[in-house]
Amino acid sequence: MAIREDVLVVGGGIAGATAALAAAETGAQVRLISHKKSTLRQASGLIDLLGAVVEDDPASEPSGPVADPFEAVDRLPGAHPYNVVGVEGIREGLRIFDGAVGDAYAGAHTDRNALVLTHGGTVKPTARYPESVAPGLASVEEKTLLVGFAGLTDFDATAAAAHLDATGVPFDVDGATVSFPVEFRDDALTTRLAKALDTDESNARERLAEAVDDHLDGHERVGFPAMLGDDERREVRAELEDRLGAAVFEIPTGPPSLLGLRLEDLLFDALDEAGVRIASGNPAVGYETDGGRIESVLVDRRGSEVPYSADEFVLATGGLVGKGIDSDRESVTEPIFGCHVPHPEDRYDWSYPEAFGAHAFARFGVVPDDDLRPTDASGEAEFANLRAAGGVLGGADTAREKSAAGVSLATGAYAGRRAGENATGETAVEEATR
Amino acid sequence: MSDAETPPTTEPTEPNEQQPTSKPEFEPVSVFDDGATMDLRPGADNCYKCSVCDTACPVAEVDDDFPGPKFQGPEQWRLKRKEGSEIDDSIMSCSNCMRCDDACPSSVPLSQMHNTARGEYVEEQMDKLSVEYVRNRILANYRTSAWFASKLPRLANFAMNFGPARWLMEKAMGVTSEREFPAFATQTFREWWRERGGADASRENARTARERRGEAVDAEKKVAYFHGCYSNYNTPEVAKALVRVFESFGYEIVAPEQRCSGTPMFANGMLADAERAAEVNVSSFADLVSEGYDAVASCTSCSMALRQEYPELFDIDGIEDVAENTFEALEYLRIQEDLEGAIADASVEEQAFAYHAPCHARNQGLDRQALELFRELDGVVVEDVGDSCSGISGTYGWKEEKYETSMKIGGDMFEHMHDAAGDVGMTECPTCAMQMEHGTGYEIKHPLQLLEEAIC
Amino acid sequence: MSETPSVLVLGGGSTGCGIARDLAMRGVDVTLVEKGNLTHGTTGRMHGLLHSGGRYAVSDQASAEECIEENRVLRRIASHCVEMTGGLFVQRPEDDDEYFEEKLQGCRECGIPAEVLSAEEAREIEPYLAEDIQRAIRVPDGAVDPFRLCVANAADAIEHGARVETHAEVTDVLVEDGEVVGVEVEHASTGGSADGLDSFVHGEPGETSELYADYVVNATGAWAGQIGEMAGVEVAVRPSKGVMTIMNVRQVDTVINRCRPKGDADIVVPHETTCILGTTDEEVEDPEDYPEEGWEVDLMIDTLSELVPMLADARTIRSFWGVRPLYEPPEVGSADPTDITRDFFLLDHDERDGLPGMASIVGGKLTTYRMMAEDIADHVCEKLGVDAECRTAEEPLPGSEDFSVLRDWMDEFGLRSPVGLRSAERLGSRVDDVLGEWDGPNPTVCECEAVTRAEINDAISQSGTELNAVRIRTRASMGNCQGAFCCHRIANELVPEYDEPTAREALDDLYQERWKGERHALWGEQLSQAMLKHHLHATTMNRDGDPAASEETVDFGAFDAGADEEHGDARAAGARTGVADGDS
Repeated sequence: MAIREDVLVVGGGIAGATAALAAAETGAQVRLISHKKSTLRQASGLIDLLGAVVEDDPASEPSGPVADPFEAVDRLPGAHPYNVVGVEGIREGLRIFDGAVGDAYAGAHTDRNALVLTHGGTVKPTARYPESVAPGLASVEEKTLLVGFAGLTDFDATAAAAHLDATGVPFDVDGATVSFPVEFRDDALTTRLAKALDTDESNARERLAEAVDDHLDGHERVGFPAMLGDDERREVRAELEDRLGAAVFEIPTGPPSLLGLRLEDLLFDALDEAGVRIASGNPAVGYETDGGRIESVLVDRRGSEVPYSADEFVLATGGLVGKGIDSDRESVTEPIFGCHVPHPEDRYDWSYPEAFGAHAFARFGVVPDDDLRPTDASGEAEFANLRAAGGVLGGADTAREKSAAGVSLATGAYAGRRAGENATGETAVEEATR
Repeated sequence: MSDAETPPTTEPTEPNEQQPTSKPEFEPVSVFDDGATMDLRPGADNCYKCSVCDTACPVAEVDDDFPGPKFQGPEQWRLKRKEGSEIDDSIMSCSNCMRCDDACPSSVPLSQMHNTARGEYVEEQMDKLSVEYVRNRILANYRTSAWFASKLPRLANFAMNFGPARWLMEKAMGVTSEREFPAFATQTFREWWRERGGADASRENARTARERRGEAVDAEKKVAYFHGCYSNYNTPEVAKALVRVFESFGYEIVAPEQRCSGTPMFANGMLADAERAAEVNVSSFADLVSEGYDAVASCTSCSMALRQEYPELFDIDGIEDVAENTFEALEYLRIQEDLEGAIADASVEEQAFAYHAPCHARNQGLDRQALELFRELDGVVVEDVGDSCSGISGTYGWKEEKYETSMKIGGDMFEHMHDAAGDVGMTECPTCAMQMEHGTGYEIKHPLQLLEEAIC
Repeated sequence: MSETPSVLVLGGGSTGCGIARDLAMRGVDVTLVEKGNLTHGTTGRMHGLLHSGGRYAVSDQASAEECIEENRVLRRIASHCVEMTGGLFVQRPEDDDEYFEEKLQGCRECGIPAEVLSAEEAREIEPYLAEDIQRAIRVPDGAVDPFRLCVANAADAIEHGARVETHAEVTDVLVEDGEVVGVEVEHASTGGSADGLDSFVHGEPGETSELYADYVVNATGAWAGQIGEMAGVEVAVRPSKGVMTIMNVRQVDTVINRCRPKGDADIVVPHETTCILGTTDEEVEDPEDYPEEGWEVDLMIDTLSELVPMLADARTIRSFWGVRPLYEPPEVGSADPTDITRDFFLLDHDERDGLPGMASIVGGKLTTYRMMAEDIADHVCEKLGVDAECRTAEEPLPGSEDFSVLRDWMDEFGLRSPVGLRSAERLGSRVDDVLGEWDGPNPTVCECEAVTRAEINDAISQSGTELNAVRIRTRASMGNCQGAFCCHRIANELVPEYDEPTAREALDDLYQERWKGERHALWGEQLSQAMLKHHLHATTMNRDGDPAASEETVDFGAFDAGADEEHGDARAAGARTGVADGDS
């Protein structure tokens, strides 16, 4: 067999990357396969662990914002993936993450959540945040100016400032809308704006600073939607800070999310560094099995199915958005291995009449055993050598909990390590876990 | 000639019988008579507006005239009407790098939408007498020019890059004078192949290799080589490397009749031209596939065209079979052979390469294979120059009005190449190679050439 | 009685707005009250078919003749609300030949242009029709946007001096000395500010007003019985619900009818960017409280995919139900609602019940709204002694004046051609005012439907902070993401003219309204879309856990304040970008 590794990870998001890194730590030869770009580019780039506790009871309101996520884990419902890996598993996930991203992220100095500004104008609890977001934490009492761009519809600085004020933040906050310093068409993409700042086209940085300067009135920090450059982001921000004489921070955005894009790059750099092999661009469509074990995953290469063999497999294909979970009018399925995904029979019970209700669909996913192996309807592991991580796991409304990244990290780390240990025949490397 | 007696019978003579006429036909050809196959509105169903495609677009990142693949793809398809709606002219700014395809988490057929929109725009909205149209048509039909040039390569090499001629081409045709035209080889690959004994010689070589490898002498190991225009006319050393490498693994090779893969035609919205070329290619390769051959290509855009664009855009007999059995050369060996093992035992002279993965390789999931493979080869350092697009996208960077955009897109790649250890570039795509050379002055090699050095 | 006779029109649907326009054009002092937004009732919940009359050509020829007549009028006066798609009555192998002939004959009898097409010819027009169809009859069906039509009528009524008051529910009909003299209305919240469309002083939420007039017209459709009850007369409207399922794209560009006698799930209407599948016909007790069930949606998809097979796997983005205001004189006594005529009835309560001062208009359909309005306006004018001709069939509605959509949008307004084209199709002749007069950047706010900031702001200037009213004017948030990417952008446009809490409340209302219909489409792609929406609004924006909306105060001090805060140094260099300090 031509393509063979110790561990094959299917999926290239946070969970897949973490699983691959964890498996590589055990000394295993690891390959990660992903079909398309991950849903990281749709996410804010923040690493949320647990920001609100959502009870099983649909009528109850989530309690939040949670200040200490580790303490709050105890209050989670029984089926929650965190309960499989425990607090130690969560810390293990964070360890791998912190190692992978280095100083590009902050927040590792404390167990407590930070409150970070959202582009919707409020704050949300998160555990790790990009260094460019760090100067903007809501618990820092500094007079703040939010700046938006006139052609940008997603973020309105005036509305966001007023909204932020209504959350009770301990500082004064104002909003100002300026024209982007380089004239572009009104539908220019955010990547275009970032590129202009990156390359300092037409003195974009200086002119942006000049435009903002008119609105500076004793503000100690200035927040922009997260599009302040790409490769040269540190320099862009540094120059703006220098010119403005105030701290400059980024406010995470929705898709297209440049912070998510950067996180994806960081994780893939870490995978390269760890010697993980990567094949992307073609979908996993099926598998070959010898009874209870998976022998290979079949990857569709434009019509021809190519087997990717390994000893151990990690399923990290994401949830409904990443297409790790699929559905039709009657049923909800896991499309590659056909793992059991429990769901109410009547599709009208999949959702709740209130838009932010306790939707069952938000908790759709495979059901893990105590070793993160997806189980069948009777609770038995579907395959001896398949573990699941991240969004493909059910049991938690990670959107309302603000726990999606944390679940991916914790379960990815666990599944990857277990796969690596089994494949190499080694037990956990003690120093690695400390 | 001995090839004539050899089954498979499609081994051609020098294919001048199929040679396009010197003047491409300029009358518009309707390619949209079949509404059912060309209507992609249902493809818009897959889109959930996440904009990941936009973040992957190298053109929109440097050029705000282009609104991005999401708008030009699923959004426009959803908004358009069967009658009376125009394709936004920004479609001509799309370089057809197909990175959006690779990005979309929901499998929206973005490049298919772009190709179709571009075809519709060119056919229905573009002035067929405009300089832009004529220029694009000539660029898209590179093979026609190359065929002529190959007849008198030395003269062509001089004439094509002759200053006053280039000035005139830019002023009159909008072909940028910033670039040097690629040199034409004094002997084309096909001339070499014929001289070498064609398929008969290849069969003998393959049998010898099988014997040496301890394999059954009659093993069914046979591939049909789609060499494309560039390795025939400009870089026959790449094609020769493929032949030698495959033969050394015991594969017998045929080089059937073929025309341009169509890649430059897709990118210019010349779908009728592309379809004519595709018909020849599909018919020629479909026969071989039915005889048990797999098709291999050394150019990643050619393999892309055969395996993805053909079945998406055209309805030709045998097209699915050809698509399913087409592979990029290295990909094929990695699937079929223990390439890693072969490499691990080999070594070459110390050298370092700055490797760029072409967008079309990325789209087929091939962007890391050369790096991974040569990691195991002693004496070699292959450094990835990042995941940016080279910016040339075939004919795109040759257009006077796109030259600047093209060089802006390539900026990241040039910088990373300079930062990399080696001063030789490596890529699978001939036009990326052109851009790499243009931006850095480096010599550029194809992975097959290094593989040849390692194992042949 | 004042010098100008005054009329109160109850109901802001197509009929009510049509009546208000007609009367206002005749110089009558008109006030229209509507309990929700314009189109809140049945008008906003129909399939958007502009009838040729073909559907009634066998069963109800009187309605069929009215339809083709009004079809021609609307093409003239409401061109920016109408798309002449043409329609097909398609016969499948199991459908009766005799009925096909009757349909053809009926069309000809009613003056509806009808042409028989072979299966090949029909599939040439609509390639996605099933391969086994037999033949089809082509008729001049079309699509009409009920929202634009209704809003244009209201706007023109205002132009002619009428007042339009939305979010004002009639709570009582005032009867003095045995005569209807007015109504009592209760004002509801419109999101915290005055509704801009009207010239009427808006009441505070919860406040009631008494409005008096010389005559009252009850044009409340399925709710007419409830108004009748307040006045002490019986109006036996028989509300009948029907489901409509919206597809993400237009699988067909022609109205596709099944050529068989009455039945459920027999029509596909290409409507704006979508197709609407319809429908069912089932009598309900209460026009506002009836079950909306999944099997009805399944029935649409399963049955209509017999005509257009690709519907079986195509994406639906939502479903909605409408309630027809069917009426028949009580003596007819049809058991099945599908047997009830689609004709309309003018009930003069003076003649009928001995209660002067009020008339009700019931039954009918959107296609004939103008004719119904003309009838009742004639009646009212006669009662009030007004001598004026109806002009609504001749004078185009605002937006439908002489106009072409084929222009160079990039040169004129900097818009991409599909965006310019869609804007122009919606705005009609108002496009130059709306796009041309706009100052500043004009980005696209709703990408699915190509709605720009200028158009959103134009709608806000008409309807204030009620974003559902902005939605029906512009189609913003009606595309495949169902507002996931634009609800908050639209709300942002309210600031700074309106304050932030108002904008936030408006956002919540629009978001919830979108969710209501999207819930009926939650599987496959739309479930993935909904999950992305959930992540974007809950995870990324934290709108569900927003401290600004909570009673509880957040202890900001309990949260991480940065690495340097731990050491008591709030402004240490590490919290800022290292490079800056090196440079300075």
